[in-house]
Amino acid sequence: MAEGEPKEKTEDTKKVVHTYPLIRHSDMPEETKIESMELVVTACEKHSSNNEAAARMIKEEMDKKFGPPFHVVVGEGFGFEISYECSNLLYMFFGGNLAICIWKC
Amino acid sequence: MPPANVTKKSSATKAVRKTAKSQAETDDIEEWKRAKQLLKPKDQLELNELELKETIGKQLVSTNNRLPDSLIEFSYAQGTFIPIPSPGNVVVSFEQQGTLLHKDSEEARQQMLEMGIDPLTYQTSVETIYEPEAEAEVPSETAEPSVAPEGEGDTTEGGTQTEEGKEEEEGAEGTAEKPPEEKPEEEDEEGEGETVIKATVKPAAKGGRPRKLTNQFNFCERAALTYNNPVRSQETQTIPPPMANFSANVLQWVIYDAYQEDFAAQQLEKELERERKEKEKMSIGKPSQPKKAAMGRAQLSEAVQGRVLECWRVLERMINQNTFNDIAKDYRYWDDPSDEYRDEEGTLLPLWKFTYDKTKKHTVTDMEWNPFYYDLFAVCFGFLDYMKPLQAGAVCLFTLKNPSFPDYICVTDSGVMCVDTHAKYPYMVVIGLYDGSVEVWNVHATCTMPAYRSNSVTNKHRGIVWEVKWAPDLPDGELNFFSVAADGKINNWVLMQNELAVTTIITLFLDKDPASGPDGTLLRAIACASCVKLHPDKPLVYLVGTEEGHIYKCSTAYSSTYLMTYYAHTMPVCRIDFNRYNTDIFISCSADWRIKIWEDERQEPLFVFDVGDRVGDVKWAPYSSTVFAAVTAEGRVYVFDLNVNKYKPICVQAIVSRRKNKVTRISFNPKLPILIVGDDKGCVTTLKLSPNLRIMCKAPKKQQHLDQWTLQCMKLDKLLALVREPVTLTLPEDTAGSEDS
Repeated sequence: MAEGEPKEKTEDTKKVVHTYPLIRHSDMPEETKIESMELVVTACEKHSSNNEAAARMIKEEMDKKFGPPFHVVVGEGFGFEISYECSNLLYMFFGGNLAICIWKC
Repeated sequence: MPPANVTKKSSATKAVRKTAKSQAETDDIEEWKRAKQLLKPKDQLELNELELKETIGKQLVSTNNRLPDSLIEFSYAQGTFIPIPSPGNVVVSFEQQGTLLHKDSEEARQQMLEMGIDPLTYQTSVETIYEPEAEAEVPSETAEPSVAPEGEGDTTEGGTQTEEGKEEEEGAEGTAEKPPEEKPEEEDEEGEGETVIKATVKPAAKGGRPRKLTNQFNFCERAALTYNNPVRSQETQTIPPPMANFSANVLQWVIYDAYQEDFAAQQLEKELERERKEKEKMSIGKPSQPKKAAMGRAQLSEAVQGRVLECWRVLERMINQNTFNDIAKDYRYWDDPSDEYRDEEGTLLPLWKFTYDKTKKHTVTDMEWNPFYYDLFAVCFGFLDYMKPLQAGAVCLFTLKNPSFPDYICVTDSGVMCVDTHAKYPYMVVIGLYDGSVEVWNVHATCTMPAYRSNSVTNKHRGIVWEVKWAPDLPDGELNFFSVAADGKINNWVLMQNELAVTTIITLFLDKDPASGPDGTLLRAIACASCVKLHPDKPLVYLVGTEEGHIYKCSTAYSSTYLMTYYAHTMPVCRIDFNRYNTDIFISCSADWRIKIWEDERQEPLFVFDVGDRVGDVKWAPYSSTVFAAVTAEGRVYVFDLNVNKYKPICVQAIVSRRKNKVTRISFNPKLPILIVGDDKGCVTTLKLSPNLRIMCKAPKKQQHLDQWTLQCMKLDKLLALVREPVTLTLPEDTAGSEDS
């Protein structure tokens, strides 16, 4: 990936945990994507133990920045099937165990 | 009521009491007020204790004695003051307008007439209903009591209702009773003399039907109707924003796998990046750019050309092999059989001659075997006759497999004076030019332009570059080389990403005192470097030969002093070469006809050979520690083997015709028993050394286990022991005595 991600490697030979933000799927423009990703990182680091608060923060910021209505899901395990407005979807992993899905509809 | 004495002091005492009372009240609530001084009216009397205790009587009377008795008012109508009636003793404390009317009052009568009831009949009819009461009150003037009890208990509405109901009844009654009662009514009225009533009664009697009172709560509002604007509906539809569906499942293992995959991809990317960088470094900057620029068809045609070229090369080599079949066989198998019968002498067998048509007028200024491909060598074409300068120069890479045409030709715009090939990257060729600049060619990438070129204005030597030498790579893998030039400077050039970074290592100055110029400035004489040789073992140490004939031993660590100065020659030093087996030993040659062999830290040479003409080049043989070869300007090649003969060369052979040509350079092939010799007509001659010239050491019987390297070192040491002067020289005893002196 192009971004210089912070990498954290545990020296354990078997288990290597990566925590950098990893974008799985996105059709956002590059700038928006980067901005959203940074927002997600900020929110998830701020509310590391409270996914709901993180999701709320992301949603509100996204609404403010790119116009409502955004929907955000932050969680460790879930499934989803969504309809979204094209070029407004971001599905990424962060922190090694969190999945974040942001879309506008 | 008892009479009361009102004194003037009453009001004063009242005020005092009042304030006292309020003070008590605020005592606990508003303490802050206590501090304030009580405000008293100014005209309040100051009373003493006694006066205050005095009892003042008060008298109440039925009449208001304060009532003004003569009130007047100005009347504008009359223009005078007129007295207004006294308000009387009554004080109205509460007043309310009622809805009840007195039956006999004017208004009630009016009302009754409006309803079509004769007040008189009404009175009687009521009397008939409430007989007992009526009888009692008839004597009194009006029928008041009959209405009053009704109205008292009811609200106004109820009152009206009952009245109406009664009226209806009465109406019915009235119609029935009217005719007989009409007369007495009229009589009564006449009797009473009330004209107003008379007038009002008439219509009621006429209409017969009583008129209903208007209900003030039952009204109809007048409204105006305006035009309504016509309603029209208009619709528009936009294209909905494009939508898409997306679905995924998030599980911990999905996240983990994604991270693993991504990390692996990143690692791979890094690996590729590193490889690419490595490649780029090897191809060195510039050559990769034209490759990228040439796209599409051009690239395709280039590729086709390249393959065709490859085929042609193979074909060319085959033809050459056929043409020079006998030479190829000689090169491989022929050894001069006469050597067996000649002691201590050998011969050189000429093999191919390498020339390039375009550089036939050039002089071979330097030659170097490729360190990687034993059959490949680079030849520099420049000029040494400064009276006839040539415009261009070239570096050609020849291979023994193709004597007819060089494999690589790099044409430069100035004469090439020296060349060196990198040991690790055999395609990186650095050259020094007559105009003072240096160039690095990547012959693997392209032969059309140099990969690096020193800036021809700011970044170059101010004299002929006499020698360039690749230095060991820097710790971070950057290539660098040294160059020496006639301007007395030794520069270190580092190949950066796309430019040459230069550092001047040392500027060579002569040991003489500075010469004073005409205006008093002092100029230090600069030594013109003519050749350099890096120490093979010590990376810091190098030797520089100058045109003054000195050899300086320098270190890259010091930029101002020499480690040692050898006053070696009286003419320019042409070449210095370290012995391969003992790096303390080096050889130098000069235009003063001499070849000298030196030992480190020793001012005097170990060997001096005079060959009778300018020595252009001298080289130690790679296969033996005691063999070296030299060429002289008169076209001869000298091969010495110190182990065989310490005073004379074991082979002297003229290579070119003495009058026309001069031989300039010589070089041993590092693997094969072959010498190449360059002359001033742009021709390189290959010579094969006869067996006598390449005698290997035979291990002594007692020391069979020793390898060739050790034997060669021992051989050299033994030889040197003979010629080294002892550290302390003890003069032999003068046997002749003092008679001679």
